[in-house]
Amino acid sequence: MLFRFVAVLLLAGLCLGFAQVGAAQNGCSLSLAGRVTDHESRQGLVGATVVLRPGEQATQTDADGNFHFHVCAGTYQMEVRFIGYATERTEVRVGAAVIRNFQLHPDAVTLRGATVRGERVQAPLAQASSTLTGQALQQTRGQALGEALQKLPGVTAIQTGPSIFKPMIHGLHSNRVAIMNNGVRQEGQQWGQEHGPEIDPFVASELTVVKGAASIRYGTDAVGGVVLVQPKALRDSAGVGADVNVVGMSNNGLGAVSAAVDGNLARLPALSWRLQGTLKQAGNTRTPDYRLDNTGFQERNFSAAVGWRKDNYGVEAFFSQFNSRLGILSAAIVGNRTDLEAAIARGRPTTDAAFSYQIDRPYQQLQHNLAKVTGFLKSANGGRFTATIANQQDFRDEYDVIRASSDAGRRNLPQLSYQNYTTTTDLVWDHPAAGQFRGSVGLSGTYQYNRYAGGTRQFIPFYTNWTGGAFVLERWQHKRLLLEAGLRLDRRDLSTRRLTRGYVTDSSSYYGVERNRFQFWTPSASVGAVYDANPHFTLRADAGLVQRAPAANERYSQGVHSGIYEEGYDISRPAGSPPLQPETAYNLGITTTLHDNPRLNGEVTVYQNFINGYIYQVIGEPITTIQGTFLPWRFQQTDAVFRGVDATLDYQLAANWLLNGKAALIRARNRTLNSYLIYVPADRFELSLRREWAGQSTARTGHYFALLRGTAVRRQTRVPSNEYDPQPAPDGYALLGAEIGATVRLGNTPVEVSLTGANLLNERYRDYLNRFRYFANDMGRNVILRLHIPLNFSSTASTN
Amino acid sequence: MKTTLFRPSFAAALLALPLLFASCKKDKDDPKPEDDNELITTVRYTLTPANGGSAVTVEWKDLDGDGGTAPTIGTLRLAPNTTYTGAVTFLDETKNPVENTTDEVREESDEHLLVFTPNPASLMTITRTDKDKNGLEVGLATRVQTGAAASGTLKIQLRHQPDGKDGSATPGSDDANVTFPVVLQ
Repeated sequence: MLFRFVAVLLLAGLCLGFAQVGAAQNGCSLSLAGRVTDHESRQGLVGATVVLRPGEQATQTDADGNFHFHVCAGTYQMEVRFIGYATERTEVRVGAAVIRNFQLHPDAVTLRGATVRGERVQAPLAQASSTLTGQALQQTRGQALGEALQKLPGVTAIQTGPSIFKPMIHGLHSNRVAIMNNGVRQEGQQWGQEHGPEIDPFVASELTVVKGAASIRYGTDAVGGVVLVQPKALRDSAGVGADVNVVGMSNNGLGAVSAAVDGNLARLPALSWRLQGTLKQAGNTRTPDYRLDNTGFQERNFSAAVGWRKDNYGVEAFFSQFNSRLGILSAAIVGNRTDLEAAIARGRPTTDAAFSYQIDRPYQQLQHNLAKVTGFLKSANGGRFTATIANQQDFRDEYDVIRASSDAGRRNLPQLSYQNYTTTTDLVWDHPAAGQFRGSVGLSGTYQYNRYAGGTRQFIPFYTNWTGGAFVLERWQHKRLLLEAGLRLDRRDLSTRRLTRGYVTDSSSYYGVERNRFQFWTPSASVGAVYDANPHFTLRADAGLVQRAPAANERYSQGVHSGIYEEGYDISRPAGSPPLQPETAYNLGITTTLHDNPRLNGEVTVYQNFINGYIYQVIGEPITTIQGTFLPWRFQQTDAVFRGVDATLDYQLAANWLLNGKAALIRARNRTLNSYLIYVPADRFELSLRREWAGQSTARTGHYFALLRGTAVRRQTRVPSNEYDPQPAPDGYALLGAEIGATVRLGNTPVEVSLTGANLLNERYRDYLNRFRYFANDMGRNVILRLHIPLNFSSTASTN
Repeated sequence: MKTTLFRPSFAAALLALPLLFASCKKDKDDPKPEDDNELITTVRYTLTPANGGSAVTVEWKDLDGDGGTAPTIGTLRLAPNTTYTGAVTFLDETKNPVENTTDEVREESDEHLLVFTPNPASLMTITRTDKDKNGLEVGLATRVQTGAAASGTLKIQLRHQPDGKDGSATPGSDDANVTFPVVLQ
């Protein structure tokens, strides 16, 4: 009885997750295969028992953890057993060849259902993508989203001090990286280099980065790639569970607690819910020689989800709120050119701050709200239809250092206050398999308006933005070859209303409103192929064309923002010249993957991205203001090319000894000026050695691991001439890190404990992509304690 | 029954949903001329001869803020070898009535310092004659001793030093930084 109950729940869960339940019925030689791995170490489990019912076929996994059945079309119950692990049961409908992988949990962890990775939001198969999940994700808890993603090769971050990390994929960021937060494209003030994504990474159970243009599915902003922030699927077995994460850091006194409680009602098995919340507080960061004043930050986040799932339909509602206050190193907001040059010459802040959690001006105060409703309908011959409607509100207030006795000071008003409201709608129809074709057709619409609050500076004008897009993405599979092709067409309609100020000769001011409207059709296309040369070797290739219409900030930003004077292209373009045009990217990527081998596994990606009309910022002729002379950062267009290699290789030295190496190299050229581009990541290398001790699963403690990591970053020598950067690129650096961890059983609860040391040698360094590099050193030694406590309050769940 | 929901009208209704949101919002509104709440548009330096005579006033003005139209910069014309009493005024002339930011600077004089830099240095000697509550100079009030007939420039900086005002120009950042041409004749 219990088993059937669980099976029904799992089926319901799979319906949400597994889109491709085909209708084709092909006789009794269909392949049902997969691999059984340890959820934590991802190592194959040898000799695990896999049972199929009805029929009671059984097999054992081979030396790599692989299993293989030949079955008739139909529905089967699968059960995977292995001593020391919780038994996994799932139902699988076989219509064509099916691959089903299992990740088993140590047996104190109760049944969580089959892990169907990466299929709730499908990543494009032909493109390179990397995922942080399980223990690798666990080892980033407490970090900002952009900081955590740096673990993935080819992903770096534009950094503003210790708290703001902006993900950068293959050298592209901001308007060129789409972030999908639980299936919804994150919208706010994402153009700003010092605007981190307003997302609580504790929400995610999986962080995936698609590297390279993925615009067909995710829209034209995905020129550089996509970050998929995916929460765990809602609980599908009756009961109530909880997941608690606690993080403490020695360097800046960071303390973070995040808890999620989820449940599923025994009497109403279709209904699941989850509540989640995070508190985080950090104080002043310490460099090896001094503390950075006013670099504390805090977060208060929560989210709630409720879902109703049946076999053929389901609906889920989600709400999240992100609140953050981020102190900015006051020494880094320097104002005019003289102050900037003095700060660079000084090389460090004038004050050596004491430790404090106090956050004074300058700081950023952020709030992001996301409300989403998504639903699906599925039928055997109608395919699957998914609709998502989401509303986002983004509030960003920036508080400058001002005189406390001024009107704004007395009322504690921000100097910049942006408000962004976005509604997005997405419809996707995964059509039923037709022969060897599978695919999706989709429509998406965005309505967005952006304001600034009265009494604050106009930096970005008022704008209203409509976008509509339609795509088709088809896959054709024959034996070991999969071909994929997609087309997309978008319409962008951007209306701006900009306040202009002038004065007449008698000194009386006058105001005007300048209205502009920009409409573009932008096409995108992609083709890709995946070839499984053998079960352990896969080749991928993809080529894409993307056109991206310019955003409002690239046209009309104007003024001082975080101590930097910026100016949009259309503000300062020469009279008579045309306004900013869309940029066109031609993307090519080739990825080779070695997988499921006993010793050597890994992935190498080679890519090239030509971007014609690449929109970027250049330091222009100094301008005179009443605050002195500023170096203006002006938007320009040029033809650029980015080429690079990402590699990650694992080598199993011996049982329980794993060596991992990563490398990322990028070469970016400004083809118009025949020069280099500024702010391109320097060459980065990482080597780590990990030792594991499996131990007795019944013991009080087990699953010990230890890891030693060296990270080396070369000096960026490929830079444009000195006039484009106030200070030459800093020297290269090497950092030493280490991690140790274990699972401690408290009663029935397996508590994961780990201790991580970052920059253990307390190296003085500055990173080329950290905007604070002009003013101060980077973070010194940091020791991080992490606890992960999974709790299960259900009395009905079976553990074996 | 389920398949009826696949009807195009359902899809159209979902796609049209943003329109409903749109119609409720005032997306046709215009930005209003409410200003930057920390703007200084004008630096005025008024110099009164110590032994009588009419005051000399010079202004550095940028009424449309950063960028846009270039600022208007007056020339400071003084008599050589003369002593003046100087007073600096900071104004926000985009406000109506005009906002006198000098009062805020005076109120927080322990966080501000005015720095006067004549070029060449022999052009004039400027001494700050006012002090804050900690006994450190401020510079809103000055005594100016001009040198021999010559021409050059005078830079006036308003340093905002919320942390660590120590009498030197080093801490903080410039709230104003303007340079006047000077003629002594």
